[in-house]
Amino acid sequence: MNRPPSVEKVASRKVTHWVNPSFTDLSSASFSLPRRRKGSQTSSCTIKPKRKRKGEASSSDPHVSRLLKDSPQRDQDEPWVDRYLPRSQVELAVHKKKIEEVENWMKVQTISSKGGILLLTGPSGCGKTATVQVLSWELGFSIQEWINPTNLEVYSSSQKNECRVNGLSSSSQLAQFQEFLLRANKYNCLRMAGDEGAAHRKLILVEDLPNQLYRQPDSLHDNLRRFVKTSRCPLVFIMSDNLPGDSPSRCLFPKEIQEELDISSISFNPVAPTSMMKILTRISHLEARKSCGRICVPDQVLETLCSGSSGDIRSAINSLQFSSLPDISLEKKACTIKDRLVTSKPNQRKRSTQTKDHEEEKAIGGKDASLFLFRALGKILHCKRGNHEAGELSQRAIRPSLSSHLSHHHRDVLLLDPELVVERSHMSGEFFNLYLHQNYLDFFSEMEDVDRASEYLSDADLLTANWTCRSSMGDYASSVATRGLLHSNSQQVSVGFRPLHKPSWLLISKKYRENCQAAQSLFRNFCVTPVSLQTELLPYFAKLTNPMRNETQVAFIQDVGQMSLSRFSRFRLEALTDKERGQLETNIEEEKEEDLESLSASQPPPVTNQVLLEVEDLIIEEYTSD
Amino acid sequence: MSLWLDKYRPTSLGKLDYHKDQAAQLKNLVQCGDFPHLLVYGPSGAGKKTRIMCLLRELYGAGVEKLRIEHQTIVAPSKKKIEINTIASNYHLEVNASDAGNQDRVVIQELIKTVAQSQQIQSSTQREFKVVLLTEVDRLTKDAQHALRRTMEKYMATCRLILCSNSTSRVIGPIRSRCLSIRVPLPSTEEVCSVLTAVCKKEGLLLPPELAKQISEKSGRNLRKALLMCEACRVQQYPFSVEQDVPETDWEVYLRETANAIVSQQSPQRLLEVRARLYELLTHCIPPDIIMKGLVTELLNNCDGHLKTEVAHMAAYYEHRLQMGSKAIYHLEAFIAKFMAVYKKFMEDGLDAMMF
Repeated sequence: MNRPPSVEKVASRKVTHWVNPSFTDLSSASFSLPRRRKGSQTSSCTIKPKRKRKGEASSSDPHVSRLLKDSPQRDQDEPWVDRYLPRSQVELAVHKKKIEEVENWMKVQTISSKGGILLLTGPSGCGKTATVQVLSWELGFSIQEWINPTNLEVYSSSQKNECRVNGLSSSSQLAQFQEFLLRANKYNCLRMAGDEGAAHRKLILVEDLPNQLYRQPDSLHDNLRRFVKTSRCPLVFIMSDNLPGDSPSRCLFPKEIQEELDISSISFNPVAPTSMMKILTRISHLEARKSCGRICVPDQVLETLCSGSSGDIRSAINSLQFSSLPDISLEKKACTIKDRLVTSKPNQRKRSTQTKDHEEEKAIGGKDASLFLFRALGKILHCKRGNHEAGELSQRAIRPSLSSHLSHHHRDVLLLDPELVVERSHMSGEFFNLYLHQNYLDFFSEMEDVDRASEYLSDADLLTANWTCRSSMGDYASSVATRGLLHSNSQQVSVGFRPLHKPSWLLISKKYRENCQAAQSLFRNFCVTPVSLQTELLPYFAKLTNPMRNETQVAFIQDVGQMSLSRFSRFRLEALTDKERGQLETNIEEEKEEDLESLSASQPPPVTNQVLLEVEDLIIEEYTSD
Repeated sequence: MSLWLDKYRPTSLGKLDYHKDQAAQLKNLVQCGDFPHLLVYGPSGAGKKTRIMCLLRELYGAGVEKLRIEHQTIVAPSKKKIEINTIASNYHLEVNASDAGNQDRVVIQELIKTVAQSQQIQSSTQREFKVVLLTEVDRLTKDAQHALRRTMEKYMATCRLILCSNSTSRVIGPIRSRCLSIRVPLPSTEEVCSVLTAVCKKEGLLLPPELAKQISEKSGRNLRKALLMCEACRVQQYPFSVEQDVPETDWEVYLRETANAIVSQQSPQRLLEVRARLYELLTHCIPPDIIMKGLVTELLNNCDGHLKTEVAHMAAYYEHRLQMGSKAIYHLEAFIAKFMAVYKKFMEDGLDAMMF
């Protein structure tokens, strides 16, 4: 099938980058190898179709097989991701509705003379770029893509002059980006003879932005505003947000800007397992046919690949290619595949190997799965335990039950690994504990259990109290808290759905500090210690009528000094939504700054050391000078 | 119109209302010409600060009362800027170094150095030393206290330190031994009453002795609190009546209600409500340790004999954790949960005993 020329160029360049260096290296090195092997290499070159078979047959000799593989066959070694690039909507792994959304947007663009802006977000490898490429091909757009230029010279004014003398123009990425937007918008491609005039419309695609823009989103916004004024062709931004919590799209394209510039935004979900499975089986079938049945990946491998990639189709295809390489026989991996080829009928053995296999596959191509906070909290708080009878049976088989005086500590087997849950929530343990603390009371019914649970939480806080060892103790603290909560909830009742809330402690402690500071600065001239100011002076000020004070003081006294004795709290709980991501990082940092200007877990440890060193240096110096 | 508290604060050692022996001794100390570093300690509202200011006046004359508030910025070695407020006259400098958090060591060293390095201009007519008054010494970090020890010796020639703290237990030994310790105990109930009556007389008000007694009892002999209460009574109602109820602070009332809520029902839901109330208190600038203390006092009133020791033990345990830990709410809540569990069990046991 024919593809738009620009895309092809990009793709081919990527391929050469990816493949070239290692192969040229190896083939040149192979000339110095003994004659016998050299011979085998040349033979492989001449007899192409036999390559695969030979590779497998001679799998006992690793070197030979390596050399065989290295024969210069570009089309064979082309990554499958590129070879099986989707060419039509049917081949896309994206949900039909999403494709439709993007298609509708693009169709609108073909009609209107003005170009709009589209922002595509979603995890990496969910088919954002592929969708745009397929659709623009079908709708007759040619894609002009921005790729960050890789000139390594440092941009400075002096150098600029020099460059001008040489007749070269060197400018910052930012300026180049600006110019790119302008030109791509204004000018059409030169019409070449072979183009057939099919792609008469243009679509500007921006996938990687100049780094500078991440630091100064404002300049991007300015550029976009300018673009919108004169826009003639549609502009598509593709931003991938990987982990929950860090999404550049949120700071680059805040809500206000999206509204102001009329940016339509479509967010993609990870590829669904069923469609992923469909694609993977299709590819493996095609490959199998191509290699005359030599490459055959059993369904179970596909399934593990599917589950291991957590919705990233690109990595799934990559690891499929990797795991189905017959030449990788150095390890026992190929042997297991061969084994499975032999015993491909469902029997007992396969079941037993499956779990091992699962681990292995994950080690190759798997991504770290991540959990949404809501689910992670739910897992801990709802406390899923094994079935009563089943648990009892297995336990009795494995180890003796607890003695009678400890029997109240007996619990059924846990169905989850708390540490894993915390890890997958992508939050610091401390922060996770705050979430747990905010919500745990709803899931308890007995006071004794609450007592023990709260004690565990208090223990956990104590573990991370000292800032010098906070980074190393954080994991233990979260472990204590989660396991403590799980264990102490002895009368687990199925509570059904409970809304979860965001922790209010951060807000409260921030407010406490702010109020304390405000009190001290406003009432400085009373010269009393902070504690007596806050507990004695301020509350009584509220009861006195003293005209001497200024307005801010009066307002502050009314706010802080007086307490409404009604039962209702001023603070409304903020509900945690389904797909909420762990945020509030800024708050956390502020808090940290206060207590000991200490170093939060989110800050890299090297900084800690540096600060510590500085302080220590100083101590030494002072004592010697005395 | 300023507060009665400030309006009728005695300004010379001779005019102090109570602990007159001590005042006389201090006067002698000053008249000897020189004196060592002082460590003045005693409970809040006993009149430490008043006594110190009287002492300074005795030393330097009325010039010490011309105060100015200065906002100083000190750059720590780690390039961090520390901002701190000081109160100074020409002769002395008052600073609460614990405002600077864990950078208090730097504050102490820098401030004392700058004060001590400048000599008095006319050393013939004036004292040849300046005074640095450090308040809340017990809240200084150990680091700062050790730094203080060094600085104390080094600048003895030009500078005297007066340290002011609530208790000596958190002041390190070396500092205690380098200072002359002066304890300022709380005034007795009668003394508080007489001060209150005297102040009211100066205001032209008539304070019935019963009410004075009531105020002084309710204030816990804290003179500052007593004077504030008295003034609040005046705002509330004048002429004073004997059965007038003395206004308490809102947070104390709120805390008592919280304690009652804890005692009246023990369940996770109630704990959740109590947590919201704790948050409310915290946002009104009530420090966590004060909350803890107030809560324990209120809860103890509701407990029977042997439960009391247990509750006090629990309180001490969690109070310690409160000081060690970083997030106060965990420990406050753990204490309340523990109390609820213990109290519930106690009540159930009591009920069982009644049945059989």
